[in-house]
Amino acid sequence: MSTTHPSTGRPSRLSWLVRLRRDRSLLLMAVPAVVLLVVFNYVPLFGLLTAFQDYDPLVGVWHSDWAGLEQFRQLLGDPLFWESTVNTLYLSFVQLVLFFPIPVALALLLNSVLSQRLRNFIQSVVYLPHFFSWVLAITVFQQMLGGAGVLNQFLRTHDIGAWDIMTNPHTFALLVTSQAIWKEAGWSIIVFLAALAAINTDLYEAAAADGAGRWRRLWHITLPGLRGVIVLMLVLRLGNALSVGFEQFLVQRDAVGHDAADVLDTFSFYYGIATGNYSYGAAAGLFKSIISLLLIWGANKLAHAFGEDGLYRR
Amino acid sequence: MGIELNRRHFLSAAVSVAGVAAAAPLLSACGGGTSQTSGVNTESGLKAALPAYVPSTNLKPDIPSVAGGPDVLTDPGFLTYPANPVATVSGVPGRGGSYTAVTPLWGTVPTAGNSFYQAMSKALGVNLTVKPADGNNYNTIVPTMTAAKQLPDWINLPTWWNSNFNVGELAGTQLADLTPYLSGDKIKKYPNLAAIPTGGWRVGAWGDKIYGIPSFSSSFVIAGGTFFRRDILESKGITANQVRSADDLMSLGKELTDAKGGVWAFGDLWTYLYTAWGAPLKWRVDNGKLVHAYETPEYLEALDWHYRLATSGYVHPDTLAGDNANGTTRFYAGKELIQGGGMGTWVLSDYQSGVAANPNFRRGAFDVITADGKGTPRVDMGASTSMISYLNKNLKPEQVEELLAVANYLAAPYGSAEYTMVNFGVEGVHYTRQNGVPTFTDEGKKNVQAQTYPFLASPPAVISNPGGDVVTRDYTAWQAANVKALAKPVFWNMNISMPQWASTALAAQPVEDTIKDCYHGKKKVADVRAAIASWKSSGGDRLTQWMTDNVLNKYGTGQ
Repeated sequence: MSTTHPSTGRPSRLSWLVRLRRDRSLLLMAVPAVVLLVVFNYVPLFGLLTAFQDYDPLVGVWHSDWAGLEQFRQLLGDPLFWESTVNTLYLSFVQLVLFFPIPVALALLLNSVLSQRLRNFIQSVVYLPHFFSWVLAITVFQQMLGGAGVLNQFLRTHDIGAWDIMTNPHTFALLVTSQAIWKEAGWSIIVFLAALAAINTDLYEAAAADGAGRWRRLWHITLPGLRGVIVLMLVLRLGNALSVGFEQFLVQRDAVGHDAADVLDTFSFYYGIATGNYSYGAAAGLFKSIISLLLIWGANKLAHAFGEDGLYRR
Repeated sequence: MGIELNRRHFLSAAVSVAGVAAAAPLLSACGGGTSQTSGVNTESGLKAALPAYVPSTNLKPDIPSVAGGPDVLTDPGFLTYPANPVATVSGVPGRGGSYTAVTPLWGTVPTAGNSFYQAMSKALGVNLTVKPADGNNYNTIVPTMTAAKQLPDWINLPTWWNSNFNVGELAGTQLADLTPYLSGDKIKKYPNLAAIPTGGWRVGAWGDKIYGIPSFSSSFVIAGGTFFRRDILESKGITANQVRSADDLMSLGKELTDAKGGVWAFGDLWTYLYTAWGAPLKWRVDNGKLVHAYETPEYLEALDWHYRLATSGYVHPDTLAGDNANGTTRFYAGKELIQGGGMGTWVLSDYQSGVAANPNFRRGAFDVITADGKGTPRVDMGASTSMISYLNKNLKPEQVEELLAVANYLAAPYGSAEYTMVNFGVEGVHYTRQNGVPTFTDEGKKNVQAQTYPFLASPPAVISNPGGDVVTRDYTAWQAANVKALAKPVFWNMNISMPQWASTALAAQPVEDTIKDCYHGKKKVADVRAAIASWKSSGGDRLTQWMTDNVLNKYGTGQ
């Protein structure tokens, strides 16, 4: 490689043109992804205009009346909006505490399985639910644990009253978190497995030679090796704190009632789109995005403060 | 699981796939609107414009219609399809003009220029390019055309999307006024259109003028009823006429529920039962004052009963979990024996699915009841149709006349030669006769079965289920037994467009959510009361005032 910068130790900057020539094949490969991002993530931002209008689909964005901040004023005074915000934050918190450690643990566990064959088998089994849609995943839960599902019919036939799992609003957070774990935990381990694979195996051998046991190696080698990735995932998770999912809640909304299941995304859907009140839904969506941006910015700052990379190297 | 579609969307979608001559679309009574133009009709002004009604005498139904109150008539029943369909139109209606038409279609859209479309163009004598569009996205397709002022020559605008299309404003600016061609006796030039009862024409009228041509109209339109597994209940000695009150219904719960055996008596009943307590569908006028259903004590009584039902242990747990999508499956499987539903479910395809699950399957419906079993049962009528087609304002008078002649062909009565052509295509190509019943060939299944032309104009609904006569007999008998209960609600068949805030208040999503939680046993009636109170202060009262000032005081109740 080329020379390094004296103070940061990073490669010193080459001229723009040189780098362009050097990386042209990589850049070319990135083009489709960038186009996709622009078309589906940036162009639709234009629609945010409707949040400041009384949008009427008949006349379109250009000719709808401007309403200024009226939609936001209404939104902030809407108790249902605050209910869904609180629900979102609460569900996010529960998922953070109960869900987040599971893929890490699962990855460590899987990494300790020696047989490559068994490892692949387990990995496939825990991956699989990720490819189910939420509707299907919840149907499986309903068939198993629902009021007329396998478990409750068993309990009934043995005269042990039914156990209300799927329709209890008080335990809904636990229910959705366990659904999320069942469906997504296997998928989330991928990135941790990759990080584990990147840890230098010499370190383990040296530690073992020095007499370090399994736990000491985990504590002093494996976890520090994973720290960067864990922090990155945590930052992303915090930035997404207001996006706990949509289908999962839409599908189960009738089961537990709207005040337990409404999150910000379903709020936009039911009280904006479903009633033809598009501007209101757009305002709720924009509000959510702004808060999310602040959250991810804050989390990234925090990561840097702890000396980690966060989303990017400072 | 329960992505709950708007009731009207769901029912109308069901109607369109129900095929030949099923039920009529429902419930445009609660249609909102975005426009400032109310487009409402006055009773006297509209009466002067409405076309004359000359019933068709071409075909004698096996089960004739029975009349109820004004504008109420049961749908006639046909047990056989005529062996030799008679022609009701002489010659070819068109004079060779070229037109395009856009209709919603629920199903696979046939390829353009297919053999059926060609045969139809020939039979109609016009070069009619039909462009069916996916019914589920229809509400997003049409506004782009209206915004660009580029409507096709002929277009179907379902009434439950009136607000999306702002039809009140389109009428007269982009849609042709048909009053000069159809009003009064002028319609007699088009006898098959004249055989459509006036109720349907009212739905297509705006500002005292006729704009729309009704499809699938019926003089027996209600939201739905309380269905039961007739085969299972009768095997236990229970017949429909034993249920005369809400208490009778509740006591069936204990008798029929066998939770250990996986059988529960009830599914959801609320939507089609709450009016039994005397609550209006949406509005009523008490001593000259407009009152919303939420504000009536009867509504809350009905809710109280449904809350008790939900917590009684007689309702299927999956129903309480909001799993509506599998409701009919539970019904067919005999796991849920009594459930509410739209009348559009009582058709051949339902019977076929039911029999596939259990050879004894038979659907029945309880009569319309009053909750306390006293007095005369009453059920609010829905609008006569929710499918209306319009002609483009830019058409010349002779073009309008040509298309009306085509509409007259499309509206030929059930069993006529024209009806057979429109609904089954060409014999030997699109259908063959099996035991006298027209049955689609593969070509017919591809291009004819998903209906296109009937969305432009079609005859009044009949009940006919070839291969399932028991359905025709049961349903016509039920209609005849309940025809006296049908009554017009306030604002019946009136087209009302309203500003966005008012239609949001009318949709009352937070209240409707709480109501659903209540009849699923998760919220108490007191919670609904609280939701209604907050609805009233956040737009409900203003809505009632708006309706009073802009509709009731100006145009009356439409009764």
